[in-house]
Amino acid sequence: MNPSLLQTHRAHSEFPLSRRSLLQRAATGFGGLALAGLLAEESRAASLAPKLTHFAPRAKRVLFLFMHGGPSQVDTFDYKPLLDRDHGKPLPFAKPRVVSAPTGNLLRSPWRFAQHGQSGAWVSELFPNVARHVDELCIVRSMQCSNSRHGAAVLELCTGSDTFVRPSMGAWLGYGLGSENQNLPGFVTICPNPSLGGTTAYGSGFLPADYQGTPIGNSQTPAERARIPFIENADGLPPHLQRSELDFLQTLHQAQAAASGSNPTLEARIASFELAYRMQASVPDIQDLRRESEATRAAYGLNHPSTANFGRQCLMARRFLEAGVRFVQCSHSYKWDQHANLRRDHQKNALEVDQPIAALLADLKARGLLEDTLVLWGGEFGRTPTCQGKDNDGRDHNPHGFTMWLAGGGVKPGISYGTTDDYGYYAAENPVHFHDLHATILHLLGLDHKRLTYRHAGRDYRLTDVHGKVIQDILS
Amino acid sequence: MRRSPAPSRLRLPLVLLRCIVPLLLSSPASPAAAPTPEALHFFESKVRPLLVERCYKCHSEDGDNEGDLTLDTRQGWQTGGRSGPAIIPGKPEESLLIGSLSHENRELKMPPKKKLAPAEVEILTQWVAMGAPDPREGSSPAKPTSVAPTTDAKHFWAFQAVSRPTIPPVRRPHWVQTPVDAFILSELEANALSPAPQADRRTLLRRLSYDLTGLPPTPEEQARFLSDPSPEAYRHLVERLLASPRYGEHWGRHWLDVARYSDSNGMDENTAYAQAYRYRDYVIDSFNHDKPFDQFVREQVAGDLLPLHTASRAKHEPLIATGFLVVGPKFLAEDDPVKLQMDIVDEQIDTIGRAFLGMTFGCARCHDHKIDPISTADYYALAGILKSTKTMETLTVVSRWNERPLGTEAEFSAWKKHSQKIKALEAKLKTAREAAVNALPEEHRKKSKAEQEKQFPPETLQTLRGLEASLKELTEAAPHLDFAMAVEEQEKPADVRIHYRGNHMTQGPVVPRRIPEVFKDTGEVPISPNQSGRLELARWLSSNRNPLTARVFVNRVWHWHFGKGIVRSPDYFGKLGEAPTHPKLLDWLADEFMRSGWSVKHLHRLILLSSTWQMSGQANPRALAEDPDNRLWSHIPKRRLEAESIRDSMLSLARRLDTCADAPPLPMKSHERVSTVGAPVHPKLYERPVRSVYLPVVRSDVYAPLSVFDFPDPTTGVGCRDTTLVPAQALFLMNHPMASENALATAQWLMELPKVNTEERLEHLFCAAFSRPPSRSELEATLAFLSTHEVRWKSQKPEAAQEAPLRAWQAVCRAVFSSNEFLFLN
Repeated sequence: MNPSLLQTHRAHSEFPLSRRSLLQRAATGFGGLALAGLLAEESRAASLAPKLTHFAPRAKRVLFLFMHGGPSQVDTFDYKPLLDRDHGKPLPFAKPRVVSAPTGNLLRSPWRFAQHGQSGAWVSELFPNVARHVDELCIVRSMQCSNSRHGAAVLELCTGSDTFVRPSMGAWLGYGLGSENQNLPGFVTICPNPSLGGTTAYGSGFLPADYQGTPIGNSQTPAERARIPFIENADGLPPHLQRSELDFLQTLHQAQAAASGSNPTLEARIASFELAYRMQASVPDIQDLRRESEATRAAYGLNHPSTANFGRQCLMARRFLEAGVRFVQCSHSYKWDQHANLRRDHQKNALEVDQPIAALLADLKARGLLEDTLVLWGGEFGRTPTCQGKDNDGRDHNPHGFTMWLAGGGVKPGISYGTTDDYGYYAAENPVHFHDLHATILHLLGLDHKRLTYRHAGRDYRLTDVHGKVIQDILS
Repeated sequence: MRRSPAPSRLRLPLVLLRCIVPLLLSSPASPAAAPTPEALHFFESKVRPLLVERCYKCHSEDGDNEGDLTLDTRQGWQTGGRSGPAIIPGKPEESLLIGSLSHENRELKMPPKKKLAPAEVEILTQWVAMGAPDPREGSSPAKPTSVAPTTDAKHFWAFQAVSRPTIPPVRRPHWVQTPVDAFILSELEANALSPAPQADRRTLLRRLSYDLTGLPPTPEEQARFLSDPSPEAYRHLVERLLASPRYGEHWGRHWLDVARYSDSNGMDENTAYAQAYRYRDYVIDSFNHDKPFDQFVREQVAGDLLPLHTASRAKHEPLIATGFLVVGPKFLAEDDPVKLQMDIVDEQIDTIGRAFLGMTFGCARCHDHKIDPISTADYYALAGILKSTKTMETLTVVSRWNERPLGTEAEFSAWKKHSQKIKALEAKLKTAREAAVNALPEEHRKKSKAEQEKQFPPETLQTLRGLEASLKELTEAAPHLDFAMAVEEQEKPADVRIHYRGNHMTQGPVVPRRIPEVFKDTGEVPISPNQSGRLELARWLSSNRNPLTARVFVNRVWHWHFGKGIVRSPDYFGKLGEAPTHPKLLDWLADEFMRSGWSVKHLHRLILLSSTWQMSGQANPRALAEDPDNRLWSHIPKRRLEAESIRDSMLSLARRLDTCADAPPLPMKSHERVSTVGAPVHPKLYERPVRSVYLPVVRSDVYAPLSVFDFPDPTTGVGCRDTTLVPAQALFLMNHPMASENALATAQWLMELPKVNTEERLEHLFCAAFSRPPSRSELEATLAFLSTHEVRWKSQKPEAAQEAPLRAWQAVCRAVFSSNEFLFLN
């Protein structure tokens, strides 16, 4: 594949929505007017232009469905018959040296597992809808990370480091690939959690600020009301009046230019106000889910109170991806941390996300987007097969072996990779650390994780630091 | 095999070992003793095949010799590889080889791809427990040893002693107002370029006011300066601004960037550094009082160890100053206390290196620095100093940082005694209440507190009420005592071992505490075994012989005055950093700075009174073509205001800025969360119209109106802020309440000005915002806008028609706030 093909966004021609042509026109206007100026003085925005990859990419964009809190692998995608058999007995080998809290004996999954699809992958009854798409999934059952606490593990998942502040993976992708739509941020995170990692989880670290994730609301905002920061006028000023105010500002700018001579900074600033004004129109349009058919809204679960919120996130995510956003994250925020009430709350959590995720997979596939969109599902760690809490109805954090799944762009569909031990505690065969996951994601997007570096304070940094290995076996 | 569920570092069937090992051993474990035949048999039948099959491929003379470790001879594991000896005979728990088998330590997992089976792990564990009987002779290659810095590295410019270059001659001596100009002009002349003319007085006034105080010149200051014909007027203006308390607020904030100052730990459980503001205020005061910079450095690194001052204002300052070491980011919910402690030490080393020396020491945590002459041994020598320093009170989740009382011993012991009394009474009350609850019938026990109390017998309730009353009384009578985030010496200072690849699970030899080898000739002070060495480190950092401290700081000051440093990588003076554009100027300034007694205000005067700093922004085309980066300083380019100045200026123009700053920035107590999990920081915390430097800095959730204009992420020290231009800035100015409220407040006072017409009103606004009156065309454009906007407003919002004139003026003010002339300095 010719890498220069990357510079055009295929989706543009495939989805000729009026919104899109508006965005494209806007992009041309902005580029033409101000890019030269930006290059000269404040060169950052130019760095958002699409860039060449190291090799032909298999995916062009990433969608991360983040199950914050740590969903239990042994209750979802990692079936352990021995756990069932030895329920109530002690774990027959030692627990890790460092744990977040003591746990008791083995706890069988309260949910039944069954095999699904052609691939015959085992999925628990918590995910009946996702199970129907199991032949699209590449289930990695041997995930590992280094930290047993939420904040640190979230940061390791999102930035590669549980020790320092580093740029997030979405920011690295923006840096490596540029943006396909100059009117939109390259990295959008829908309803992120402001704590336990906070803005650092989607920050740009030492990379230029343009690459940081743009939060749409936060975990306490219902998805329906989640907005890009500052996009709504505080006084409720009608667009008509705001337009005339902006025209006056630009008159002042012209007068300043006449007095002091034109300069690129001023031109870029003038352009940035026009861009912002257009974003005010285009972004709410993308977020306006009323534009979707009733069938689509129903499929994503928008008509049901338990699925509506995450359904909205997923549908909004699809619309952002279509519009050219490179990395979209949806957060089912800090809900999966069942130290107690596993039965009640894992059931509730799964119910909230199962149908929307299944609908999203189907929708992406139907629109031809799945083949070059990499979907990633999972939490910052898994949970122990041993029990904890009141009535032994809980599980502790477990970074030593857990499940994430990928789908779409460039991964083998319908396979499982890696295993945990007989009880699902430690990764056993083919362990995949977060660093390996990061290396693989970059690889799928056409980037060599060892060559995607950024020099800061005298050192070339990588998302994978000195670690990371591409998991060749899961590439299609 | 069923094994014990008890947690242990290694999955060792210890009971089993206790049974088998004595049978196999003829003598206590010792590698020198000749192995018994049983032991040899065990080695040959079980151990050797396992080593051959699973280890030799990477760890043998014929294999890859990974990590310089060979396992095909006895000497191979005795000498060990880069991580030290692989086996401690008789001690499986301390043997790296055994430790690596569990795959729990991500830095050392062997075999890396597939773990050994539990039975295989047991074989090797037994073997080591037996004393590792091993008949295999032969030698293994010698280990590489750490190398001292090469002469070449020592000759790098930044490591040379600061010199006193002679002031160069120039062809246009009349341009030279301070020696700074001679250094700049001589380079321009050498390149056949000439300096830009001096900026006009209004430009200079606005530039100087923002540069020193971060605020626009007040109308009074404008009138005073612009009407003063004296040749000394500018010099007097510099002095007035340097003497203003607003100066320390602005320049202190520069240092707070470098000190990665924050009011919370960030990262995970985001808790309040409720006392951090004392350090912030210390920094502001230090700048305002022109504290000698060497003293400022010493106090921040070792203020607790310096002799106490007697002056009351300064009494606690040195202790508070050590907050510098404590206010960094921390994962307080780290399950591994050893990792937590070493991460904190690392953060401190990184901050000290970057802030004072412009060096990155962090790389050497894992390996010798690949670029700069800093070895792993140097790193752990510093780590010993900081590990011997108490930064944390506890290391268990959620861990607590150190706070120290700001009072005499007597005051502290009285406070402590009183606190214990309160605790005891609280406990008594709790016990009494529990007893009362337990005496209730079952069905009442789970009810609410109020419901329970209705069931208590009257005399019980009376007792409880009595206890509550005395607790209240006692609490109210508690002596007041302030605390500060501060460090102290650990009880037992100690050297630390090298941690290979930065991992505390793979340790090497002990390194004595000292300064890095490459600086050995710059006045190393021997460190007493009974002290951490922090005081010695502080004295070396602030010594006139230190080649970096003065250079790095002088360059920072230049950077903050000009927007670019003489060294354009102000946080990094290493080999991959930028070379100085004017090395002699840098040295002259550093030397002059030290000679002046490290006076920061002296440095300001040298720069601000120079012709160089007073140049206009008009670059001549030749200079632009030949020196597009303006490395020779032929003119002064425009600079965007910093985030704080943008907010403070809006407040100032709106006449709302409150220059008092008595209240601590956060309402929480130390260790309380800054927000509930999942919730952003409450916007109310940012509502006080104080200067931005006094707003809370919440790590991992920085106030968006500041971060949108590049307020730095306070996790690592930043001496050079970004200046981005992103659409979010435009959206902010167009839509955020901060812009619209301040625009409205500004419009209000403009409208209320007595006896003025529209033209005069606009002149007031322009002078306040741009330090100049409007031009004819601006005036006409504004008049036209005001009338059309009023008409539009009335038709859009007929219900609020009477507001139209005010709203039109609000729109004008918001446009002024959004304009480049407001956001930039000429």
